[in-house]
Amino acid sequence: MLSEIRVSCAPHISKPLSTRSVMIDVIIGLVPAMAAAGYYFRIYALILIPTCVISSVATEWLCNIIRKKPNSLESLGDFSAVVTGIILALSLPPSLPVWAAIVGSVFCIAIGKMVFGGLGGNIFNPAMVGRAFLAACFGMLMTSWTVPATIDSTMSKIAADNKIDARTQATPLAWSKEAIKARRQKTDDGGQSRDEGRVSRVVNDQLWAMFKGEVGGCLGETSGLALIIGGVYLLIRRTINFHIPFAVLLSAFIFAAISYLINSDAYIRPLAHLSSGGMLLCAFFIATDPVTAPLTRRGMWIFGIGVGAITMLIRIIGEYPEGVMYAVLLMNAVTPLIDRLCKRIPAGGKPSIK
Amino acid sequence: MRIVTKGRLSFRGGVHPPGSKELTVGSEIQGGPAVKQVAIMLSQHIGAVCRPLVEKGGAVQAGQKIGDSDAFVSAPVHSPINGKVKEMGLRSHAVLGRSPAVVIEAETEAATKQPSWELNGDFDESKYSSEQICEAVRQAGIVGMGGAGFPTRVKIEPNPRLPKETLIINGCECEPYITCDYRIMLEWTKQIIAGTKLARKASGCSRILIGIEDNKPEAIEVMNAALQQSANTDAIKIVPVKTKYPQGGERQLIKAILKRDVPTGGIPPMIGVVVLNVATVAAIAEAVVYDSPLTHRVVTVTGEAIANPGNYYVSIGTSVADLIEFCGGVTKKSAKVIVGGPMMGIAIADLATPITKTTGAITVLTKEQIGRAKFERRQTACIRCGRCLEVCPEYLNATKIAHAVKNNLLDVAESYYISACMECGCCSYVCPANIELTGYIKTGKIFLARQKGEMPQ
Repeated sequence: MLSEIRVSCAPHISKPLSTRSVMIDVIIGLVPAMAAAGYYFRIYALILIPTCVISSVATEWLCNIIRKKPNSLESLGDFSAVVTGIILALSLPPSLPVWAAIVGSVFCIAIGKMVFGGLGGNIFNPAMVGRAFLAACFGMLMTSWTVPATIDSTMSKIAADNKIDARTQATPLAWSKEAIKARRQKTDDGGQSRDEGRVSRVVNDQLWAMFKGEVGGCLGETSGLALIIGGVYLLIRRTINFHIPFAVLLSAFIFAAISYLINSDAYIRPLAHLSSGGMLLCAFFIATDPVTAPLTRRGMWIFGIGVGAITMLIRIIGEYPEGVMYAVLLMNAVTPLIDRLCKRIPAGGKPSIK
Repeated sequence: MRIVTKGRLSFRGGVHPPGSKELTVGSEIQGGPAVKQVAIMLSQHIGAVCRPLVEKGGAVQAGQKIGDSDAFVSAPVHSPINGKVKEMGLRSHAVLGRSPAVVIEAETEAATKQPSWELNGDFDESKYSSEQICEAVRQAGIVGMGGAGFPTRVKIEPNPRLPKETLIINGCECEPYITCDYRIMLEWTKQIIAGTKLARKASGCSRILIGIEDNKPEAIEVMNAALQQSANTDAIKIVPVKTKYPQGGERQLIKAILKRDVPTGGIPPMIGVVVLNVATVAAIAEAVVYDSPLTHRVVTVTGEAIANPGNYYVSIGTSVADLIEFCGGVTKKSAKVIVGGPMMGIAIADLATPITKTTGAITVLTKEQIGRAKFERRQTACIRCGRCLEVCPEYLNATKIAHAVKNNLLDVAESYYISACMECGCCSYVCPANIELTGYIKTGKIFLARQKGEMPQ
């Protein structure tokens, strides 16, 4: 009975928690967003999400074989490739061809994750690496938007008041950019151009539709409601800390509010900024990726504020309508530095030098 | 007066492992095994190792001092039984490895019984002077019985440079499975109160706070009732604290009760505080009033595999094997025998390891109790989730330290304050990747000590 006792270091018990259970929690958190994607984009979602997941998992498996891992299937059990696949799918335009989604997924896992040594070693968020690759290679495909299936698209052609137009032709952020460009043009040609206030009003009027998700945009990014439900689930389960989402949204809100206060005609409302584009998906699911975010709370604040601020700079001043992807990648790059600068101070203060 | 048994006071961080105290919580302290032979370790405390005062073949009496040291930070050891010194040999120590011990063979095999102290509930400490108490504590070889084993005399003796104001009696017992302090609080209440008064007299503290976790409402009530019956206890207060591991760590207890931090690398007297365990203060009362050295202690023998788990009054020097056998042996296939509890205890391979003054429990765990992940010790990559940072009661960056040690970057480990770690095990407990963070940190500390020549290679 006592013949086979073992020795190992304390503690001898552990919380029933594993990398797999953490990843399953994230997948559960993504379910509302996937459901919303399925509701608004129907067949596109049904094709794109499984495609990305399957090709991500397959790529990880192949990489394990290439890396001569003793058990090439073992690391698939942590479901991290599944999470990457889902997040990539949700951040892609619905009408993206399947082959492009596969290329993106392969790039995500192979270059975004496995070349760094697999889970835990990657510097950049794999899903965003894949998305950046697709955006760089297939710019046209990545900016072609689809009408949500719940909108009667036949009406759009005859609608006079741009409301339906806003829902079908482009994303709210594209409209926002349009308004900003219109304003610039106006200053250039002395007020002869079209009215930027009308354009930004189109977006502002769509706030509720944007919150529900009934606008053009990436597969899983349109429905703010679904993302918030998933995010709150993760917060309740303590899978993520509130620091990063809160810091991202707060700093984005502040920047958007400043721009809105300066010129409420040219810039869209702060809440419209928060519920449009990848902001919520980023705040709750992408920026909170533990591997690529800082460890300390102070670091998380800096990281979150950085993501929010860079996103808004790109959206307001930059050339692209959306900047979440670049913001996350840029802040990922400085995460090791943030971690080094934001060291935790022990409970009893820094030890006095003897 | 209604007694408040709920505590909100706590510290930041910590974990809530399942208590598993139900196995032994109702078990009264019983007499321990009759021993044929005991092995008294010459180092059962922090500080200088004792030099033996007896020789091989010599006769010893129960209570006779068999090892002592001239060093200030040290405590003598005594024989718990009448007998003959069989040998001066090496025995396994849970922390120190093979260490010198005096092995004594018993004259007669008498069962170990609890002495029936008849302490007056209304104990009056005024007839003892501070010096008398300190000397009695020193001579009795009392050390911190909560686990650290720091010589108690050094703690309670007044020090003009670091005046003490507050005495905290630690009755938290936050470690899962263990109930010995709880039973002591219920059954040895008068001794604890007498010992508390003596410690107050010796240390010159004006305020005394007894911290008890709020999962022990009975102990809080019994102690409160006893305090009310006893005279001159106005300055003694019972403070219920939140049930959380490691609430019984002295720095965490001070933080919870006084809202103050002990400086990193410092000791509680730096902020005028002394923390003593309940078992230690009970031993102080025995030592001062009855002139009885510390030769026995209460040990919880527990775990689902143990036939008769319970709290036993055991001779120091009894081997773990004898004690387990006395408890009816094990009924299930067991995976680990732990000296202490499952969070901070040390798994031993040698069942001849003797009980020391700091052994509060023997926990025998089966594979099921350890859990599959921990049993197989399959570690996966760190996903930097930061849970280890959240639970660290010392606010350290456990994953950075552990990975620095793993990659042999001791200077990096030091820059993340590796020495401030108190090895409570919270980080390893929560790690989803099952990384032995505490193990790496302990290893790193040993490497550093060797590097600095403070420890043999």
